[in-house]
Amino acid sequence: MNHTDLALSRRTVLGAAAAASLGAALPVWAQGKDPIQFATLLDFTRVYTFLTDEYSQGQQDYIKLLNLEGGLDGSPIKLIVKDHASYPERGIALYNEAKAAGAVFFDFLSSPVANALMPRADEDHLPMIAFAHGRADAADGQAFPYVFPSAAIYRSQAALLLKYIDEKEGGLKGKKIAFVHIDSAFGKEPIELLERVAKTKGFELKLYPYPVPGTEQAATWSEVRKNRPDKIIIWGAGPGQAVSIRGAVTNGIAPKNIYSVIWLSEADMSAFKGNEVVGVKRVTLVNTGTETPIVKRIVEKVVNAGNGSGDKKRVGGTYYNIGVATMAIAAQAAKLGAQKAGGPVTPEKIKQGFEMLKDFTAEGLIPPLTITAQDHQGGGMGMISEWDGKQWAPKSDWGSAYQDVVWDLIKEDRAKAKEKK
Amino acid sequence: MFYRLSGVYHTRYSQTRQLWPIPADRWQVGILFALALLAPLYMSNLYLSSYMLPWLIFSTATLALTLLMGLAGQLHFGFAAVMAIGAYTSIHLTRAGVPLEIALLGSGLMSAVIGCVFGAAALRVKGLYLVMATLAMQFLVDWVITNVTVISGGATATLQTPSVRFLFIPLQSLTARYYLALAWTVIVVLFILNIKRTSFGRALVAVRDKDFAAAVIGVNIFKYKLLAFFASSFLGGISGAILAFCFYKAVTPSQFNFDVTIQLVAMALVGGLGSVIGGFLGTGFVLLIPIVLLNLISWIVGNGWLNVSTSLMAHIPMMLYGAMIIGFLLFEPLGLAKIYDNARKYLLVWPFRHTQS
Repeated sequence: MNHTDLALSRRTVLGAAAAASLGAALPVWAQGKDPIQFATLLDFTRVYTFLTDEYSQGQQDYIKLLNLEGGLDGSPIKLIVKDHASYPERGIALYNEAKAAGAVFFDFLSSPVANALMPRADEDHLPMIAFAHGRADAADGQAFPYVFPSAAIYRSQAALLLKYIDEKEGGLKGKKIAFVHIDSAFGKEPIELLERVAKTKGFELKLYPYPVPGTEQAATWSEVRKNRPDKIIIWGAGPGQAVSIRGAVTNGIAPKNIYSVIWLSEADMSAFKGNEVVGVKRVTLVNTGTETPIVKRIVEKVVNAGNGSGDKKRVGGTYYNIGVATMAIAAQAAKLGAQKAGGPVTPEKIKQGFEMLKDFTAEGLIPPLTITAQDHQGGGMGMISEWDGKQWAPKSDWGSAYQDVVWDLIKEDRAKAKEKK
Repeated sequence: MFYRLSGVYHTRYSQTRQLWPIPADRWQVGILFALALLAPLYMSNLYLSSYMLPWLIFSTATLALTLLMGLAGQLHFGFAAVMAIGAYTSIHLTRAGVPLEIALLGSGLMSAVIGCVFGAAALRVKGLYLVMATLAMQFLVDWVITNVTVISGGATATLQTPSVRFLFIPLQSLTARYYLALAWTVIVVLFILNIKRTSFGRALVAVRDKDFAAAVIGVNIFKYKLLAFFASSFLGGISGAILAFCFYKAVTPSQFNFDVTIQLVAMALVGGLGSVIGGFLGTGFVLLIPIVLLNLISWIVGNGWLNVSTSLMAHIPMMLYGAMIIGFLLFEPLGLAKIYDNARKYLLVWPFRHTQS
């Protein structure tokens, strides 16, 4: 054995030891392959605190499961988990560090940081996932070849809600629909789509913005009450969502007429007493609960074995399962890419792997996901579920809605962006 | 010892009035400048782009703010908005085909004009009331940028900086962007250092110390307060544009929200109001210490020396950081610059202990 071999094996052992201390790799490092590094740089401390702990717990638990089951063809995956606190400049610094450390895949879960890093990731040819957040035009594989929303973007989510009202709640025609949203880029994103569908379907759309950060909405809701809308779509995230529902309920709006964007969790709903909010509906992009095979196996092999990354109660929650889904999608993409091209996993192969995903459901965790070089959203499928007092119960099958309108808007965005360049 | 003053005789006025009359100071400045100039040679891209570049640019913004808060004594809690105006102006001008050199001046002017409009409040109110007035500027500008899609760039609300040249050099490479930021830093530093020795600077200090006393001795407070807002906003606007072009390469409203204002004020205060070296130290502290602490804790946890959850791991650096701010301010309430100043004064008379002033 020459010196390079020795050095290599020593580095492998050190790397694996580091991975093991993170609790990421258990039996696989005996096989002696270098870990593949995924960087999940998240906001644990400032804006996205309402979901990050649970989300990251899901990601870490899934990676532990994957490593127990042999990793990616024998190579364990190591997660680099760091806190960027939604500061774009800190996100950029951590991204550069992770890049230098050899990370091949990124997740930021913060619109400000994701927006700042999308152009960089594209320039550096490093794939990143922006699951249900970030810029709308990220769905366009032509505009951002290395960014993968991999789930229904906000416009598609709004479309899903409208379609549900149209098909299951007595049609859209002639209805008064109120869109109560946080006054930020995120809150305003679905407006164009709502306006277009309002024209074709003939319903009346009223917009009610409330100021950032959304903890004060009293004025908005008394305004909503005055106009007596038939259905209300709420569009916010974190603490603002519970404030919205509280505002609706105190203004005499029936919970069954409230529809929400994906960011409404078990914890938000459990804060209400009794049957006060039973009937609120929400877009769901990832199955909740512990019934799907992957989450079941996580419970058996990771959580029950005492290796869970956090509070046991959160396993199977909305944000937990979203975390699991992001890593399952990324791991599948890495696997497909490496299988096709052979050899070790590289960023380029992961990117190609993403575009090879076809009807991928992560064993029933997510709706069938098909990503192509054009469509990085992957079909925009989701379902509507309803709060029954204990959990989110499915009210519809997986499906997509008004994708023609969604893509018209994306194409217009692209045309505008080109004009400006 | 280091600052040997004996044998330093000034025989001309120009010698005593130069920026750094003591040779040791000149040496230090020279070495620092050389280090900054050679940074792309000895620093890896990682450190240059993630630490050095944002540190320099935010330092210029802090210096612009300290001109207003430290020299002229006018509190400003809307400085991120000033930078936002500069950033958005420069990006829209360059997109319209204006060369970057002129776009930068334009962004400075635009920030200065809008900054002056809100600064006019300072003619009537002082202290905390002025904080409220400038706070209003922050939220108004934020609101206008997010809600006027022509400015923010439509639903996506992100504007990419176009590829531009500065003095015929394309701003693509990191090195080019670094040198542009460094050049701007040098200009701002020289401006702030020199302003203190002009009648303008002395008038600002007079206004800061007691504005009606300044009026009694013949300083036109109306003029100087507005000029302070004008100059500071001008520098702040260009710093915002430099931040957009050299660091972020894109502009979104969240890069200039209220939190950034608070950070800037913290940089100016922790560093020491009105001090140039304090601007750099404060910016380094507020911008870089959290990342250093974060990496330190991640490293400790990664090595298995500390067994905590990911969430707690993310919060430990914040606790340490908070403790450090309190610690430094207890140790020296006048900021990091004063700590430097104390050390320098001690060395000036070393080995004697008498350090009056």
